[in-house]
Amino acid sequence: MDVFGSFALILAFVCALYAFGGGIVAILTRHPLLIKSARQAGMAVCGLIWISTLSLVYLFFSDNYSVAYVVSHSNRDLSTFFKVAALWSGQEGSLLFWSFLLAIYVFSVLFTYRNKNGELMPYVGVILAGVQLFFLTISNFVSSPFKVLGVANAAGGMDLVARSDGNGLKAVLQYPEMVIHPPNLYSGYTGFTIPFAFALAALLARYPGEKWIHLTRKWTMIAWGFQTLGILLGAHWAYAVLGWGGYWGWDPVENASLLPWLTGTAFLHSVMMQEKRGMMKVWNVWLVFMTFMLCILGTLLTRSGVVSSVHSFAQSSIGNWFVGFLCIVLGVCLTAYFKNKDYLKSENQLDSLVSRESSFLFNNLVLLVACVAVLSGTLFPVFSEWFTGSRISVGAPFFNKVNIPLGLLLLFLTGVGPLLAWRKTSAESLKRNFQWPTTAGVAAGLIGFVSGFHEMFSLICLILSAFVATTIVQEFYRGARVVRMRTGASWLTSWVDLTLRNTRRYGGYIVHFGMVMIFVGLCGQAFNKETEKETPMGSTVSIGGYDLLVQSMDQKQEKNYVADRMIVEVMKDHKPVMMLYPERRNFPADQESGTMVAIYSTLREDLYVVYAGMNPQTNLPTIHVFINPLVKWVWWGGMVVVMGTLVALLPNRAAVVVLTRTEAPAAAPEFRGMRPAQVTLREGHD
Amino acid sequence: MSAAPVFADQSDRTHQIGSKLKCMCGGCDQAAGKCYHVGGSYSGPCETAKTILKEIDQYIAQGKSDEQVLQAMIAEYGPLAYVEPPKTGFGLVAWLMPLVYLLAGTGLVILIMKRWRKRSPAMAPAPAGAPASGSVHVTRELLERARELARRETEE
Repeated sequence: MDVFGSFALILAFVCALYAFGGGIVAILTRHPLLIKSARQAGMAVCGLIWISTLSLVYLFFSDNYSVAYVVSHSNRDLSTFFKVAALWSGQEGSLLFWSFLLAIYVFSVLFTYRNKNGELMPYVGVILAGVQLFFLTISNFVSSPFKVLGVANAAGGMDLVARSDGNGLKAVLQYPEMVIHPPNLYSGYTGFTIPFAFALAALLARYPGEKWIHLTRKWTMIAWGFQTLGILLGAHWAYAVLGWGGYWGWDPVENASLLPWLTGTAFLHSVMMQEKRGMMKVWNVWLVFMTFMLCILGTLLTRSGVVSSVHSFAQSSIGNWFVGFLCIVLGVCLTAYFKNKDYLKSENQLDSLVSRESSFLFNNLVLLVACVAVLSGTLFPVFSEWFTGSRISVGAPFFNKVNIPLGLLLLFLTGVGPLLAWRKTSAESLKRNFQWPTTAGVAAGLIGFVSGFHEMFSLICLILSAFVATTIVQEFYRGARVVRMRTGASWLTSWVDLTLRNTRRYGGYIVHFGMVMIFVGLCGQAFNKETEKETPMGSTVSIGGYDLLVQSMDQKQEKNYVADRMIVEVMKDHKPVMMLYPERRNFPADQESGTMVAIYSTLREDLYVVYAGMNPQTNLPTIHVFINPLVKWVWWGGMVVVMGTLVALLPNRAAVVVLTRTEAPAAAPEFRGMRPAQVTLREGHD
Repeated sequence: MSAAPVFADQSDRTHQIGSKLKCMCGGCDQAAGKCYHVGGSYSGPCETAKTILKEIDQYIAQGKSDEQVLQAMIAEYGPLAYVEPPKTGFGLVAWLMPLVYLLAGTGLVILIMKRWRKRSPAMAPAPAGAPASGSVHVTRELLERARELARRETEE
């Protein structure tokens, strides 16, 4: 199977080479058969990568310990569930897995548009094949997952050997989130290849208009949705598994995943400027180029160990390949841009400073400043070493100080932007739109202050959250009211109808609402409490109104690990609330151990209990307890964001406005007072 | 029966100061107040972190302010011990960078907005092929363009 898999991989490389080279010749000669064969080679690459990846999965399932990658990332006792995750737990496998996910996107694109967009697709095919070629080069010749174990024999050759068992999967990776977090994040990373390829293709082909944006709109949203989910799942993994009480530590690898998310978010917004107003064409192209390059940079940072990180399980020296690839991509983008930039002439004009256009400009500004600030902060220790010879630590407090104000500014724009009209917003509409949200914000601020929110940023965050949430509720209310007047349906039906009629706009609002919830959750961090105690059996730890009685310890023997479990009774106001069982798992295969945090989670706060192990000096069990307010809002907010993204991906349902209007105008008396133009306009602005 | 604290003084203040100082054990990349050694056999603070936290405790007991404690610790362990870049020398660059981005970016946006404001809102001139007579000749392209513009700005 290893031979089969590596053979498929080398065939994929050959096919990609053909799709790339043949594609270029096809573009130059415009030969229809050549174009077709290049496209089919592109599809074949995808099939071959799948075969290769599935072979590797099969090697894991069949416990084939003659393959080096399987030996170092699996063992016989590893459950089937985690054998799938073992595929991407090391460098070789995760790069193959990267190709695998990219192949899914590439195949879908090539297949969907096989008979469409004839002028653009050959370019897209070549660019996609180029990206695949890079990853296949690495997987084939630099970091192959199919290397077999061998020993030198007397004749000077090599004999194949097989081990009886593997070294096992790293302990911290044996958690359900680790099975879903990387695929999501990678799907996000790889997904941005599609808008990138279309943007570059449109530029190279001097393809007119906003077509590439229309074509890639859904792909961008899919990629963005996966990336958001991936980042949040990663945060949840850090929270529920690592046991340090938090979910975001500004680790270089976390930062790397955030960078393309920030530019991707900016891109999702600024494309609307081009779609609606024909503005910012140059900027959009560069935003998507940057997003793609940041995805590659993210992989580079994760893999190369340029900056130290807790994700060090993925380190190696293939960084130079990525640097080379990044330089090539940048070179191609710059060349394409300077050669064809005349084609990107925008119709930029601004009618008013208070308009949707300017709010998008500021949205992009804040997102980009945050992105560059995080990037330079992450790389600063390296700069410092270059310039001064000594490293400087740039830790979480730095990133918090820099990003909290930026985040709040962005939150403010989330509330303001969608309520400003395109071109120009009148003072009257400003008053109408912001009356209630401002009131809600002020009220929330007062209530918050009285109930103990005395930390400045948290208080501002609370005020803005209430403000933004009200703008969103108001939009849904107003829209649904119009539908209700026309159809007489219930609020819920009107609301659903409204959403389905303009999924992108209302899906976007739902995403915004989810982001508000996340911000509310982030606020809570300012009020975290923690305590760490050595606890003989029967002793109590008190924190934040809870009393934790450590009752006893026990041990569970599982297939792949031994779990030491602490049995803790939680009491609040001397009344028992629940039992918690924080665990430590010891994995004999690699002598590693990990924590399994026990969390009692409410909307108000999380009681987060870690069994830290036996203190080696005193031989007493140590318990580490945190009170983390509002954390649940982050996870629920994340779910709302994903839901909103799904809504935005639905095709719009055709409006039935005209029908109702002509059929029964008399049946709806309230309707008469309203100008029909207003109805159309309301549905209009996105 | 009450549990014994791990540190001499279990105050939040110790932890707060400790989370601004790096654990210098070399095995983790965490702050002393947040050193848990993920994957290790004991995920409490390691000996190095504990020593640092105990020192902080002692300084607090001497009545030093947070800043004084930090300065004393940095003097002992070197600038790398501080999790934030120092606000002097090259470290200052790290702090100024985001501010410079924001100011430069805002300046750029304002400049762009000014320039866009100056553009005449009138439609682009008719294509070269259009007759140069005084009456506005509505060509098919012009009409199509106006329709397209109206569609984009109102629908969906």
